Amino acid sequence: MNILSVIKNFFFNNLIVIIFYFLSLSSFEGIKEFSDLVIFSFNLPMIIIYFFILKFPDRLGLGHIFLGGIFNDVVIGIPLGASSLSYLILAFFTSYIRNVTLRSKMTAEWTTFIPTLFFSNLVYFFTINNFSHLSFFYLELLRSTFFTFLFFPFFYFIFINYQKSFLKDNA
Amino acid sequence: MADSRDDFIIAIRYALLKKGAKQKFSLFFLISFSVLILVLDNLSVPFIKSTRAVLNDFVYRAAVVVSTPGKFFSYLNLEKNKHFNIVNKNKILKKEIRLLKINKHNSLFLKTENENLKKVLNVANLSTYGENTSVVARVILDPESPYLKSLLINKGTKNGIIKGMTVFSKGYLIGTIVESNYLTARVLLITDLNSRIPVVLQDTNINAILTGAGKKTNLSLEYLPESFVAAPDKIIYTSGKDGFLAAGLPVAKTYLNKKSKLRIKSLADPGQALIIYVTKGQNK
Repeated sequence: MNILSVIKNFFFNNLIVIIFYFLSLSSFEGIKEFSDLVIFSFNLPMIIIYFFILKFPDRLGLGHIFLGGIFNDVVIGIPLGASSLSYLILAFFTSYIRNVTLRSKMTAEWTTFIPTLFFSNLVYFFTINNFSHLSFFYLELLRSTFFTFLFFPFFYFIFINYQKSFLKDNA
Repeated sequence: MADSRDDFIIAIRYALLKKGAKQKFSLFFLISFSVLILVLDNLSVPFIKSTRAVLNDFVYRAAVVVSTPGKFFSYLNLEKNKHFNIVNKNKILKKEIRLLKINKHNSLFLKTENENLKKVLNVANLSTYGENTSVVARVILDPESPYLKSLLINKGTKNGIIKGMTVFSKGYLIGTIVESNYLTARVLLITDLNSRIPVVLQDTNINAILTGAGKKTNLSLEYLPESFVAAPDKIIYTSGKDGFLAAGLPVAKTYLNKKSKLRIKSLADPGQALIIYVTKGQNK
């Protein structure tokens, strides 16, 4: 095995971690990047966490989630640990759902994304309100949450096909 | 009931404490750690402050690098918009060019028609602008003499200036060259007592000689017919009878002074002339 294939394997095996760190550092908010489509902002890191903790927990380590959250806090300028806690709460609820699910179906997973997002955002909201003097647009948070939920199936199919095609993983 | 509660607790405990094959930390540990960081950050502990400062530096630099592709896409978006704007502008400009081309053809047609009509009417071109080369000069000296009203300019025979040439300032005649040296020349102003310009009055065929009297507002007309009384607000033009100065150049104007007496004033202000044009009798 030459060095090129080692790099290639490393890249494809850790692509999602790279993407997660990239999104955390660039504070990516989806289609919001295009000024004309600002209304469709969504939280892709949350979709990634939910999907990978639910389907392929070994592909995205909890340490990466924690660190990504810390980076996101620094970039956005909110209290250190707020995003991490929010992401970890999301991971916790996802992990719980994974444990209690017997037969996984996309529609069921999509539906259970609602309470998961709710608790994660609740913790985020609670943290910012109690650990800082920052104020933010609640409506924007609600809108972002709604579109995060709405776009989940789209990314579900992308990620699942990527995992099956490139990494030969089975959900 | 108790079984389902046990299952619920087991599932939560499993979710919190389980470590997968590649998971080095449990969720419980990381959540506790996050809360601890939050509290310490909120309490502004010096250790956390310095750590945050170092982390900020590192993360900001990394964020700058990571946001480059995003910036690139923004740049592409901007360039795309710019491109479409240019395309639209180009369409408008093409329309304008088409209209201008039509106008140009019309102008060429009118020019040709005009030349043909002139040939039919035997009207020759009165002006010979080709010969009428003008020299731009700067006034280097304006001697304040009560007798001689003249200027010194920084061009002379080296630049083709000869005695008798006419001098204009701001489109009006101000005098003639009376002395030409190699590098300088002297201009005798129309306000000077020695200035003599053959003129004709507006709306009449009366010829006269315009002479200066030392002031811009006090010129006079000589050799007028005895019974002739000039009207106010009439322009005085050169008649061209001296054979050098072109005909039809406006020089002065009649006006009524405060005492309702008819006076003649120069249209140009020789005292204010700084850049002048020296020509062979024709306005530039």
